[in-house]
Amino acid sequence: MKKVKLISLLLTFTMALSTLTGCNNTNSNTNTGDVTQSTQTSQSTKNTVIYRIAGDPLSFNPSLLSDDNLYPAAQNMFHRLTKLDTTKAPIPDAAESWDVSEDALTITWHLKDGLKWWDGEALNAEDVKYTFDYIKEHSECFFSTSMNIVDSIEIVDDLTVVFHMNTADMSFIARLGWYATFIMPEHIFNNGQDWGDNPASNKPIGSGPYKFESYTQGSNITLVANEDYVDGAPKIKKLIFSIIPDDATAMQALMNGELDGMEGVPSAYVDQFLNDPNFRMILDEYPSPYRIIFNLKADKVKDLAVRKAISLCINREEIAAKVYGNIMTPEYSAYPSVVSWCANTTDTYPKQNIEEAKKVLEEAGYTKDANGYYITGITWDVFEGMQDMANLIIASCKEAGIGIEMILSEYNAWSQKVGPGGDFMMESQGGFMGPDPAALSTRYGTGSSSNYASWSNAEFDRLCAEGAATIEKEKRAEFYKQAQKIIVDELPVINVIGYAAYKVYPADLMNVPEDGAGKWGWADWNNAYYK
Amino acid sequence: MKKFVLRRVFSGILTVLIVFTMNFLLVKSAPGDPIRSLMGKETDDPALRAALEAKWGLDRPLHEQYFNYLKNAFKGDLGTSITYNRSVSEMIGERVAATLLLGLTSLLVAFILGTLLGIFCARHDGSFIDSILSTASYATDAMPSFWLGLMLIIVFATNLDLLPSQGMYDVRAGYTGLSYVLDVLKHLVLPCATLVLVSMPGYFRITKSSILQVTSEDFITTLRATGMSERKIFNKYIFRNAILPTVTMLGISVAFLLTGVSLIEIVFSWPGIGRLTLTAITQRDYPTLMGIYLVMNISVVVVMIITDILYAFLDPRIRYE
Repeated sequence: MKKVKLISLLLTFTMALSTLTGCNNTNSNTNTGDVTQSTQTSQSTKNTVIYRIAGDPLSFNPSLLSDDNLYPAAQNMFHRLTKLDTTKAPIPDAAESWDVSEDALTITWHLKDGLKWWDGEALNAEDVKYTFDYIKEHSECFFSTSMNIVDSIEIVDDLTVVFHMNTADMSFIARLGWYATFIMPEHIFNNGQDWGDNPASNKPIGSGPYKFESYTQGSNITLVANEDYVDGAPKIKKLIFSIIPDDATAMQALMNGELDGMEGVPSAYVDQFLNDPNFRMILDEYPSPYRIIFNLKADKVKDLAVRKAISLCINREEIAAKVYGNIMTPEYSAYPSVVSWCANTTDTYPKQNIEEAKKVLEEAGYTKDANGYYITGITWDVFEGMQDMANLIIASCKEAGIGIEMILSEYNAWSQKVGPGGDFMMESQGGFMGPDPAALSTRYGTGSSSNYASWSNAEFDRLCAEGAATIEKEKRAEFYKQAQKIIVDELPVINVIGYAAYKVYPADLMNVPEDGAGKWGWADWNNAYYK
Repeated sequence: MKKFVLRRVFSGILTVLIVFTMNFLLVKSAPGDPIRSLMGKETDDPALRAALEAKWGLDRPLHEQYFNYLKNAFKGDLGTSITYNRSVSEMIGERVAATLLLGLTSLLVAFILGTLLGIFCARHDGSFIDSILSTASYATDAMPSFWLGLMLIIVFATNLDLLPSQGMYDVRAGYTGLSYVLDVLKHLVLPCATLVLVSMPGYFRITKSSILQVTSEDFITTLRATGMSERKIFNKYIFRNAILPTVTMLGISVAFLLTGVSLIEIVFSWPGIGRLTLTAITQRDYPTLMGIYLVMNISVVVVMIITDILYAFLDPRIRYE
């Protein structure tokens, strides 16, 4: 009798396990798209790429918000007019070319012939006009405010569309290749529903070289090759974005062959992977400097002498070596030096000089107190991840008699505190300063919503406006270089470290996104293959 | 007994309501907001912020948001996730099976093994095996679960290549049917082993100390003096008295099953509800957090009521009159 009870218990437990595992399997098929999944299934390792993402996507409509978790998949499912390559420079995407009028107020886009949505409809000028008209009219879209400089969009023919601008801004072309500017299918979305409510925002119909197959919450997004793609079917037949939140786990998964690629290799693993012939390591540099922003409304730091003294205390080489293992590099320019055509590498922030820092303070009338400080009580708001850099700078500042106290917060809490007009003295920031030097105006221009420093300089604003309105690249660079000199002189911001991180792939995986500078986008997988 | 159960159910409902209100206020008073997460790190556009706040009703007065949410919760509608624009109930539903599979399996294994080893060591108190197991229990109890998990990955997945390191199934192979079930069980081994190793010492020590304590009671000595067999004394008198604290601990563990495995879900990329909770916290996804907390709140209350009733069955002296 006891045996029967035991067996019954075991059977019940086994059934419960099967039910629970089965439940999840059902979920994975809930969102399965049109592509039929084979029942028994052993995908060849050599035509599948599994790439790590850190979290779930917000939705499958990449033109709603700037969604970092969807972004790598979106770039393989949808087209934009332009896209950014691995150097973060704009290259053609759905638009194979474009003309800009002499006054830069008219941009004519020539669409690539043969692009089709996965349901067979042609991608044409109607789709472009619908997408950008919708974005402009709906302020809950990330790119909506950027569309304020577009007066109207005119369809010339199926493959030609004209943007009539009210403000000349050459950076617009590059920004169209960045977040939330993907062309959406007019025939699917134009049904009176908001994009957020439209089922197609969760079961996408795209135009890219990979089709959506399935999404399992917390697990993966699976795409399959679009065999009818205009440039030919991709050789990698299955592209899986595996959701792995923890870096260390992702590295182990990579070593075990459960993963074929990831970005942001933790510095502790860099040497090991650089010396492992089974992997390729590619250093990806971003125009996203780690920087210090001063709140120029705060009494303690509104004196230029204090900001100059702090600037003179920073030892970028020490920070790069001790905190970032020399993977990231010192940044002395006011616009990221990785964008070499417009970074001012002549008028730069100074190298560390503690004695000079003391001299600057003394000349400004500061005197040492009994504890050896010229000034104390400065607070520095830092979010998690930046504290090691901050600690080194604070230690150097202490040597120069500047007392700074770090306030460490979690990102969301930090963000609420230090936003524009926020209650802070100094804060640390990262974030993309690309894809165009017009970002200088966005970040530091008078009245800009991202101007955390509350800085205002009329000459800087004028130079940025001239830079944006100028077509010729060399002339634009001159305006922006002059603007950078003003930043270095007035120090509303100090760039410290240029952001860079390794990406890693199996050694036999060729034509990965980073191999295609000038040829394909920074997340495009349709050229990749296994050797 | 009936009166007792009804009283416990009523106080349970009251507890759920009070905790629900406290959760709402705590979640809302945390610095930061979900709009920051939606906007991303690259813009502070006030028009975008205003539009998103209006869309999600965050521009409404706090009391209005509270009563709206309460009204919908009574109708069984946990709202829509601000972060993922999906039904919270649907999201919890998709994740709960994974968490129950991991949490229940490890809980049962830890409970059974911990209790059995506790009984064994109590009956062989001071033996070599007892010393080894007692020392080991302190060692595994002191290990942070996320660290232990990573160590198990390095040893059993990376070095020995015996088990997968992460996920719930092999996305490359894409198994179906029985192969899928076996694949999931294979993926379950390491996260389950981690949880068992960190939670088993609790059951082990409580069982052992309870048995030792009951064994030293006067009535046990009296029973021995009557000549009753050791087996009968243990099964009928020692074990039934000693198991109560272990059952209490089991009840508490079951109640916190849904979110108690969060760190392990992160380390092993297990697509469960704990991971969803942590993401909702960092992104201040109020509806998702409130939904998870409500489910957790109700499950704690239900399990506590069941534990109380179970007490009465295990110990005839308890009648709650």
